[in-house]
Amino acid sequence: MTFEIKRQESNSRGELLLRTFFGFFYIGIPHAFLMFFASLWGSILTFISFWTILFTGRYPESYFEYNLGLMRWSARVNASFFNMIDGYPAFGTSSSHPDVLVDIPYPENLSRGTLLLKFFLGIFYVLLPHGICLFFLALASNLVLFISWWAVLFTGKFPASLHEFLLGYLRWNFRVNAYMSYMTDKYPPFSLS
Amino acid sequence: MEYYPLPQPEEIPEREKEDAMGAYLMMFAAVAIGLPLPVINLIAAIVYFYLNKSKSRFVYFHSLQSLLSQIPTTLINWALVIWSLNIFFTDRIISDEFIAYAIVAGIANIFYFIFSLIAAFKARKGKMYYFLLFGKLSYGIVFKVKENEMGTIENKPPF
Repeated sequence: MTFEIKRQESNSRGELLLRTFFGFFYIGIPHAFLMFFASLWGSILTFISFWTILFTGRYPESYFEYNLGLMRWSARVNASFFNMIDGYPAFGTSSSHPDVLVDIPYPENLSRGTLLLKFFLGIFYVLLPHGICLFFLALASNLVLFISWWAVLFTGKFPASLHEFLLGYLRWNFRVNAYMSYMTDKYPPFSLS
Repeated sequence: MEYYPLPQPEEIPEREKEDAMGAYLMMFAAVAIGLPLPVINLIAAIVYFYLNKSKSRFVYFHSLQSLLSQIPTTLINWALVIWSLNIFFTDRIISDEFIAYAIVAGIANIFYFIFSLIAAFKARKGKMYYFLLFGKLSYGIVFKVKENEMGTIENKPPF
């Protein structure tokens, strides 16, 4: 499983300010509008995939690619809002960004037992423990985001350690999401790396 | 009238079989997004059809058959929803006609559900499955060789 956002050599201060003051309008609203419908479709495919895995032990490949594309799209938008990448995040599930690398190897077979476990008890053994960790990480991320904003404004560079932390936070979210969307059987580790 | 040859199960890639199967499972779309409106399934089937029709004739056929077979069920269910709302917001008296219609609608949905599941299983195995009426219609649309697909015929035989 890969979730990498390459740290840029330098960040644009102009784009930083533009994103901060108008990002909600020119990135947030259009992306949220389209992602709402794309996510609805994604949830339909996930629902069907659940039954398909239950009966055949396989996640339909094209549905898997669509949902992975949706995760890549979300990663691009998040990376942009976290000021980790410059440029406008591309729309769509088949687009990409050279600095945002998100991938999950397609599983040929998935365990039906794990699927049922996730469905019935996932809230207790995944969402609850990871949710608590992610809640505190989200609080810390806001602080890190604030500090990194000033760092980028004054130095034009995103501090490496702060970049690593925010990347770890996004990666953690991604792994939990992938596990709960039945895309992998590997339990998400409690780790930023 | 010419038709394209039907693909055999062993010739169809696994991925296409899954895509064909998915077409029939669009009947669960409303459940998946938690909006119990009959039109959601139809919209999902239309979206699925347009996303998949260019993949292969096998997927095209099953997507089209699923879409066409969903139209009468959607209309029957919509009529039931509208009639129910009308009763709820007016005199609140359930007539015998309404009960009869609800039973017929229920049976129609059960039949649709069973046949769609059978079709989904068959499609997963790479097999064709023809619904009454919609099967022939879909086969004709998907597998019939159209004149413009044969290219321009310049040279013709003498008789």
